[in-house]
Amino acid sequence: MSGEEEENAAELKIGDEFLKAKCLMNCEVALILDHKYEQLQQMSDDAANQVSQVFEKSLQYVKRFSRYKNPDSVRQVREVLSRYQLAEFELCVLGNLCPETPDEAIAMVPSMKTKGRIDDDEQIEKMLQDLSLIKKFE
Amino acid sequence: MRFLRSSLRRSERKRRKRARREERREKMFFHIVLERKIQLHPRYFGPHLRDKLVAKLMKEVEGTCSGRHGFVVAITGVEDIGKGLIREGTGFVTFPVKYQCVVFRPFKGEILEAVVTMVNKMGFFAEAGPVQIFVSNHLIPDDMEYQAGDMPNYTTSDGSVKIQKDCEVRLKIMGTRVDATEIFCIGTIKDDFLGVISDPSAAS
Repeated sequence: MSGEEEENAAELKIGDEFLKAKCLMNCEVALILDHKYEQLQQMSDDAANQVSQVFEKSLQYVKRFSRYKNPDSVRQVREVLSRYQLAEFELCVLGNLCPETPDEAIAMVPSMKTKGRIDDDEQIEKMLQDLSLIKKFE
Repeated sequence: MRFLRSSLRRSERKRRKRARREERREKMFFHIVLERKIQLHPRYFGPHLRDKLVAKLMKEVEGTCSGRHGFVVAITGVEDIGKGLIREGTGFVTFPVKYQCVVFRPFKGEILEAVVTMVNKMGFFAEAGPVQIFVSNHLIPDDMEYQAGDMPNYTTSDGSVKIQKDCEVRLKIMGTRVDATEIFCIGTIKDDFLGVISDPSAAS
């Protein structure tokens, strides 16, 4: 438990396990859980009773809060964000929250500036514009 | 069951194509590899042993919660099943299984969106997937006041912003506490760009 005292998402301080793990955006999780639910439905008619409450709640949550519904747009979002030198966590936060202005983006992901990788507001502006383009043409 | 396994591998492949080989850091949902020892009764030792093992794993693990990994939302694939060890005295066999799964782990300092489930004068409760978050009235902006009634809510003095049941808010996690079966968080909406989400891309 004491290890958790040091963790802080704003400074990118997390456990080693999660440093090595893959991070998923809400839209990606929505696709995975949807797929799994369909498989369960195909195997038995009673899929709703077989899944745990955690699964149900998570599925509802990611469906409600995923910005991009199309698998291709999801892939594009990841591609666009990977072009910039972002940590996975930062990538996922931006993909999930879709900030509109560079100020908002920096408030959501303070570690972006503090780690010194992106000093330029213009870069952030461009990145956000690319994201909103993908959403527009989804 | 065999159909389920091969389809899982297909979705896993799709996901790997999308994934980038970069260093990944935390966010809410993670895709990690975990290991667990599964015990199986001898009645299952037959041609479908592997399937029975995977089914038992899913029943035992999906929906559970641990302090280290958070909630296990769904198992996406089985990586490896080791050699079974027969336990002395009983006929049960223990198999070490390595599996990939999607977990949900909220972190302190993380900003995420949630749905309000209950409002009272101490603050409001919100849910983000399987996690409950409480925002105390001390961490709600001072210009919002509690209003009791049929639909208790917090409203600004000019009535422009309202927090009530079923509305979506963006909040920041201040701390997490892990129980035996669930994770509970404390959140705030007092910072910039937090609060009610009126349209999908803005919050203030």
